[in-house]
Amino acid sequence: MYAIVIGGGKVGYYLARDLLERGDEVLLLEKDAVRAEWLSSQLGSVVLTGDGDEMSFLSTTGMDRADVVLAVTGDDEDNLVALQLAKKRFNVKRTIARVNNPANVRIFKILGVDQAISATELLLGAMEEEIG
Amino acid sequence: MKVVIVGCGRVGARLALQLTDEGHQVTVIDQSSSSFSRLGENFAGTALLGNGIDEDVLKRAGIEDADAFCALTNGDNRNIMSAEMAQHVFNVPKVVCRIYDPIRYEVYKELGLGVICPTIMGTDSVHETLLKD
Repeated sequence: MYAIVIGGGKVGYYLARDLLERGDEVLLLEKDAVRAEWLSSQLGSVVLTGDGDEMSFLSTTGMDRADVVLAVTGDDEDNLVALQLAKKRFNVKRTIARVNNPANVRIFKILGVDQAISATELLLGAMEEEIG
Repeated sequence: MKVVIVGCGRVGARLALQLTDEGHQVTVIDQSSSSFSRLGENFAGTALLGNGIDEDVLKRAGIEDADAFCALTNGDNRNIMSAEMAQHVFNVPKVVCRIYDPIRYEVYKELGLGVICPTIMGTDSVHETLLKD
């Protein structure tokens, strides 16, 4: 499976690391050059420096053959636009977003993202299970 | 007409003042309260402090019965997201979204979002002025 991960923060780093351990083909996109260098030192040559919503840059990533694109930056709007471009311009079959605002789980689905995950929502759910 | 504007920068504030002068009902949203100083002291509309991509903030601004929506922050992606919420989640009849990046502008224009690109408009305007006798 070819997975493209957009955003090399903590979530993106662990996600890319575990996907690599599983044996998937991974490309991690990070716009900050210094952070990208650190990510490369940990993960090897699977990191590209560039903006996940710049079309010219995305064209160099082989996105059109990706099985899944995961957008996990800390900004909901950047994740949305990156995945809409993936879906509409590169015909990516599966798009998954991290969202910060739990209300955006529903909004992202209306706006064409296949799946949106909110840590807040998961934590609240876990808490309720404990109580219930 | 009831209008919601996200982003109270130079363009957002100017537009808000122009529309209220014309008698329209205007709500301007911005994340920074200092930007509302651009509206002056006698602004006849409503200034709302908040995040323009937050559903609750948009509802508080009255987006559910707005006739028009403008996304005019400095961030292309922020504008795209709030404009898409206005168009596809709240079904606002008229949506205008500012996108500086000509490439993203083309993509979202094709997708049917109401978009304008000041980069293209500015270039054309300078080009025309430059080549005029």
